[in-house]
Amino acid sequence: MRSIRMLALGASLLVLASACSTGGGSPSPVDNPTPDAQTVRIGSAGFVESALIAEIYAQVLEAHGYTIDRQLQIGPRDVTFPALASGQLDMMPEYIGSTLEFVVRLDADPPGEATNDTQQTLTRLRERVAGRGLTVLGPTEAQDFDAFAMRPSSAQELGISKMSDLAAHATELTWGVPSECATNPLCAGQLEDPYGIDFDSLTLIELGACGGEVAAALGSSDEGAVDIGLMCSTQAEIARFGLVVLEDDQGVTPAQNIAPIFLTEWLDAAGGAEAMAAILDPVSAALSTEELTELNARVGIDQEDFAVVAGDWLAEEGLLP
Amino acid sequence: MQLLTDLLAWFADPANWTGRDAIPERFLEHVLISAGAMLIGLAIALPLALYIGHTGRGAFLAISLTNIGRALPSYALLVILFGVFVQATSNLTVLTNGPTLLAMVALAIPPIITNTYVGLRDVDRDLVEVANGLGMRGAQVLRRVEIPLALPVILTGVRIAAVQVVATAALGAVIGGGGLGRYIVQGMARFDMPRLLAGALMIAGLALVVELSLAWLQRRTVSPAVAPEQRPVADWRSPAAPRV
Repeated sequence: MRSIRMLALGASLLVLASACSTGGGSPSPVDNPTPDAQTVRIGSAGFVESALIAEIYAQVLEAHGYTIDRQLQIGPRDVTFPALASGQLDMMPEYIGSTLEFVVRLDADPPGEATNDTQQTLTRLRERVAGRGLTVLGPTEAQDFDAFAMRPSSAQELGISKMSDLAAHATELTWGVPSECATNPLCAGQLEDPYGIDFDSLTLIELGACGGEVAAALGSSDEGAVDIGLMCSTQAEIARFGLVVLEDDQGVTPAQNIAPIFLTEWLDAAGGAEAMAAILDPVSAALSTEELTELNARVGIDQEDFAVVAGDWLAEEGLLP
Repeated sequence: MQLLTDLLAWFADPANWTGRDAIPERFLEHVLISAGAMLIGLAIALPLALYIGHTGRGAFLAISLTNIGRALPSYALLVILFGVFVQATSNLTVLTNGPTLLAMVALAIPPIITNTYVGLRDVDRDLVEVANGLGMRGAQVLRRVEIPLALPVILTGVRIAAVQVVATAALGAVIGGGGLGRYIVQGMARFDMPRLLAGALMIAGLALVVELSLAWLQRRTVSPAVAPEQRPVADWRSPAAPRV
């Protein structure tokens, strides 16, 4: 008798659970996505900017009648890309340069395919991921690339304003670089060639890239311990601390516009890439580097919720139907 | 199985024994930070704990403070200290290892204070009275009666603190500090599993060595009269004569 009761309890819980998981928004009269593809599972990388951009795309799609299943702040690309490619996610906003290099590495090809030309990088990325069942839609105007930034006092003292100026002074500076820099061709590799800096000879402290610690270390008093660090170009702390971003005068930094990458299978079921591009391309085009930096500042410095910041920006730009 | 082979290859690779992140240097850093933290911790905690254990005064305050110290997450303390040090110093070594040292001191103090206090309080009051009756003054009682009797418990506290410090000093790597934790942080950042595993194993090994060494030291210094478990068990070969 007891086991039957347990069975009955289990069955009713199962029914309850399945009843709760269905249900979502009804399609708006403006757009009528096909019932199969009414839900979009959107993921993002493990940092706030990625979640912010995913949230922007999510809210636009919601306004067009889609139900969004948010899987934000998952983790690094080694986790998110397979999740997308294997169909556990329907869409990921991605940085085209880094993603291209990531796929190049997966294909076991030599690195260096991403260039500082957005269109070239985008085309190469589209070619590489097409075979993996992924479609890349239009990119944002904004780019967020890794850039070396210096404490203003050190930059002035040594007269450094661009990357080529560094070779002569590299060993005098204390560098704040992430642990993965040593083995990353886009980091240590590019410092060596073309900028002629011997990575092994540098005095460095290993702090996370684009993190608060390296920014705080650079932004501290004029006589601080760290002189130069790896930052993200749209990071709020750059303006906040007046850091000097060194110009990539040899043009080796890959283009890092952000583009929504969709599961091709999902797009086909949802009415095709053109229909989705019609919704999302205007949003991407409206997001410039300055705007993205400002949004980052609202989240990072003013401590506002990124969903609220995303919604405010969309409303201001008139991107919501 | 592949991981095990890669791990052995990692230790065999001469590149890991020279240059930046060389094993001997990181190992030495880790030992120095741990030893330094223990020495400072002992210097702060022991006198305080001996006083409150002997006199019984101020115990509530001291124990409460140490309980708060125990509840403090070391990682949070590290990040806070980093923020302070970044404003205060322009020396890279101080910036990377100072916060770790202080956080480890904070970690070492609670077990030492708690065990020392409890050990002293547990000493039979009759024995203290006897000592007083023999004409011993406070400090003499402490030195000749209370401490020897409480020694097992005190040394256990020191052992607990030491092992915790050695294991947790790995955290310093998260704010760019040195020590064996660097291999774990780098292993995670570079997806280099052999490096990560090597770091973890070295830390675990060091903690084990510290534990066993201090346990040996404890056996050597604690009087057999005080620690009955150290007395040889009587068997048919020798009569059980208690050593005095």
